[in-house]
Amino acid sequence: MSTRTTWAVQRVPEVSGGVRLLATALSAILALIVAGIVLRLCGLPPLALGARVLHASFGTRFGIEDLLLLASPLAACGLSVAVMLRVGLWNIGAEGQFFVGATGAAAVGLFLPVGGTGTTLALMALAAAAGGALWIALPAAARLVLGTSEIITTLLLNFVARLLVDFLATGSWRDARSSVTAQTPRIHAAFAKLPRDWHLGGLHWGIALVIALAAVVALLFRYTSWGFELRVCGANREAARYAGMPVGRRLAEAMLLGGALAGLGGMIELAGTVHRLQGGLSNSYGYVGIIVAVLAAAAPVGVLFSALLMAVVLNAGTVLQTQGLPASAAVALVGLILLFVAMGERLSHYRIAVIRPRATPAGTGSAAAASGAAE
Amino acid sequence: MVIGPVGAPGTLAPRPLVAMRGITKSFYGTLANDGVDFDLRAGEIHALLGENGAGKSTLMNVLTGLYQPDAGEILIENHPRRLDNPAAAIEAGIGMVHQHFKLVQNFTVAENIHLGWEETPRRAGAAALEARTQALSERFGLPVTPGARVADIPVGEQQRVEILRVLARGARVLVLDEPTAVLTPSEVAALFTALRGFRADGNAVILISHKLGEVLEIADHVTVMRGGRSVAQCPAAGASRASLARLIIGDLPPSGRAVAAPLPDVEPVEPRADPDPLPARDVADPAASRRPSAPPGIAATAGAGPSVPHPAPTMVLREVSVRDARGVTLLDRVSIEIMPGELLGIAGVAGNGQRPLAEVMTGLLAPSEGELLLDGASMRGIGPRGFASRGVGHMPEDRLRTGLAATLPQGENALLREYHLPPSTRFGWLFDPAGARRLARGIINAAAVNRRDPSIPARNLSGGNQQRLVAERETRISHRLLVAAYPTRGLDVGAVAALHAAMHRLRARGVAVVLISEEIEELLDHADRIAVLCAGRISGILPVAEADPEKLGLLMSGQSLASGAPVSA
Ligand SMILES: Nc1ncnc2c1ncn2[C@@H]1O[C@H](COP(=O)(O)OP(=O)(O)OP(=O)(O)O)[C@@H](O)[C@H]1O
Ligand SMILES: [Mg+2]
Repeated sequence: MSTRTTWAVQRVPEVSGGVRLLATALSAILALIVAGIVLRLCGLPPLALGARVLHASFGTRFGIEDLLLLASPLAACGLSVAVMLRVGLWNIGAEGQFFVGATGAAAVGLFLPVGGTGTTLALMALAAAAGGALWIALPAAARLVLGTSEIITTLLLNFVARLLVDFLATGSWRDARSSVTAQTPRIHAAFAKLPRDWHLGGLHWGIALVIALAAVVALLFRYTSWGFELRVCGANREAARYAGMPVGRRLAEAMLLGGALAGLGGMIELAGTVHRLQGGLSNSYGYVGIIVAVLAAAAPVGVLFSALLMAVVLNAGTVLQTQGLPASAAVALVGLILLFVAMGERLSHYRIAVIRPRATPAGTGSAAAASGAAE
Repeated sequence: MVIGPVGAPGTLAPRPLVAMRGITKSFYGTLANDGVDFDLRAGEIHALLGENGAGKSTLMNVLTGLYQPDAGEILIENHPRRLDNPAAAIEAGIGMVHQHFKLVQNFTVAENIHLGWEETPRRAGAAALEARTQALSERFGLPVTPGARVADIPVGEQQRVEILRVLARGARVLVLDEPTAVLTPSEVAALFTALRGFRADGNAVILISHKLGEVLEIADHVTVMRGGRSVAQCPAAGASRASLARLIIGDLPPSGRAVAAPLPDVEPVEPRADPDPLPARDVADPAASRRPSAPPGIAATAGAGPSVPHPAPTMVLREVSVRDARGVTLLDRVSIEIMPGELLGIAGVAGNGQRPLAEVMTGLLAPSEGELLLDGASMRGIGPRGFASRGVGHMPEDRLRTGLAATLPQGENALLREYHLPPSTRFGWLFDPAGARRLARGIINAAAVNRRDPSIPARNLSGGNQQRLVAERETRISHRLLVAAYPTRGLDVGAVAALHAAMHRLRARGVAVVLISEEIEELLDHADRIAVLCAGRISGILPVAEADPEKLGLLMSGQSLASGAPVSA
């Protein structure tokens, strides 16, 4: 009988958020190193380019502010996708819900004659959430009644939403006084800037709202029996039904909440950054939100970090383009980083363990899992 | 090398066809196989026994290339072989039929047999494939219907298809993981005949089973595993049920089995966090779980004359019919009264309405017609949650699909019935992770699952341990009625006895128990009355004193007891 010590690679069922974050950071750095080597081989100076990207993103206060401004709609859309992933559904339609939410908010901001900015903003937020939820209501109904795949329906409605915004921005809501033909007039209700002495004066309170939304969703998931039910519905609907959970209702609720969150993202972008409804309001934030949610393994707080990561990556693409690299190089870099981060997420589940088969019968030696993460 | 209480095989024994040497396989937190040696000789049927979680399935998954061992080697006819995947194993002549079949439900039998097989002729029509299948079926003595869709054939035939698939690819070693758990007695007999034929051709079979009677009937040799190690090897001749049970459970004080089993279980997260031994379940002594005296006046009065004051029945089904979405009748005017403290057995060949009956009784299915009363109140419009909160527990027949969310941690699975109640949830909505974890730990301990870490996904538990978890979770909430469908499937001898004892404890407390089973012996041993299901109808209900295998067999085939003629539809 073999009794010598040996080793094995084992899969750990659950890893902590800290380990996962570390794995993500290390993977991103590794991807950058690989990208640097490729650039070097192409005869480009990777360090100089890297320095430029870093400088553009983190080197100045404006850079950091820009980064956060870009990250916040990504986080909102990521949250939207994450909530639906919790019940095992794919929201490919955050883009459309984002637009419709912004449309609802713009309607309030443009046409509702109320006094205070605070009230208007609150009403805009309500309208946005309702708009986003409305936009997913049809896919939700189709899913629950007919079993239609939400992947297709939510995706298709994105195009409808975009057309709706273009229709309004070039049509009846168009700003007649401006020479730009595809936007509404400026909406005056806007998020206030953060206090000056926080040294992030370019940022608005909408960003705090996104963080608050992530926190609320995290609390709902962890500290309500509702959150527990969503998880079971996502893992095995038949078992959820057997356990007496109202499965259809929970799916519907998760979908509507997901739509509302993306809609709110649209409102925050509108009232915080863009101030006019226009077709360029979203730069594919809804689609990037899918990546954000997947990278965060659908954890609400993790979404904040992965949104930040995606913002850096998108920024780097822009910088590289200004340095004469083709746009496709930037896309390739994005892909490389995502690939590494996804692999890192997987690998963070593995540990090297030292195995000591028992030398003598009955309960002396044992397996000892030791050593650090494989990542 | 192997410590065999009955003595190692003599020197004249032929050299092994398959030899596993020092096989070690670890998973995070446990050592599933710990230096296991295993020999298989040509021309033998070799039973692999051991309690739940002993490492039997893992060892066979290593042999069939599904898992790679951390250490150890596999010799086939004395040559070391690497088996990197199941295809390499089948190449080496080793094939396995898993407990959960892997057939394509929408394909025909013939298509399933020929799927992914090199010898499948290139441009062959359905007729050609079916003819080849028919020939294989006759050659190996495993009757199948080549043209039938797998989804439409009974479980026993699906299993024959799985076996044919393996044998057709030239396997000389056939591994069967708990093959008889889902078979009717006559299907078991047919399977054994086929296995004997296979053995007669000089091939070998490895059979994992918890049913010691069957093992003694068919096996030539027995290997017993415990705690990841091979602890005994002996010829089957001369062994008895009792001696095998002793080998399986080990020479431990009976009350300490579940904790004292020397499992090399290291939980890096919470190392051996259980200072107090769990409440011992009377596992070691099967006799102890035999029917205790019936609760006073209950079983005896069921169906007695009107002069005796009837206790009110716990559940009443009155002319309950169930039709599925296509209008096919699943249950046909079923009427049953279940008395408090009664253990009602439901006999019948699987697929004759057992599943819809269990689902109607637990609120998962609404009757299309008829009425169902629980403690005298109509249950119309009430779903599974309402049934559970009124004290109805349910062990479903398909634990992996219905009873568990396999990808979720076992702790969350332990909570499935109580996550919304204190101490998991306060004020009806506020989930308390700490309270929930305490409760989950309590349930896992009481279930005597071999791994105590609540964060292990349920699918990583061994089959029998999954079933233990479901059993404990459901008996906990059964204040009025427990509906248990094939509850002992996959359980080891000790756990079977423990489960039967738990049912009798419920019964003694006045809880009604519905035991759905295909094992007549189990029903005769434990039930107060036995109802027989056939084609969605109750073909008869007998007090256990009047029941015998012959009568039940008649009822199961749809005959009435009086005339022997089929029950009129
Ligand atoms: N994929 C896996 N990941 C983690 N642990 C596993 C895995 N497969 C098996 N185990 C663990 O290895 C041990 C042995 O499991 P195995 O399935 O081999 O038991 P078994 O003897 O077949 O039991 P049963 O009679 O209940 O089927 C168990 O403790 C189980 O939890
Ligand atoms: Mg097993």
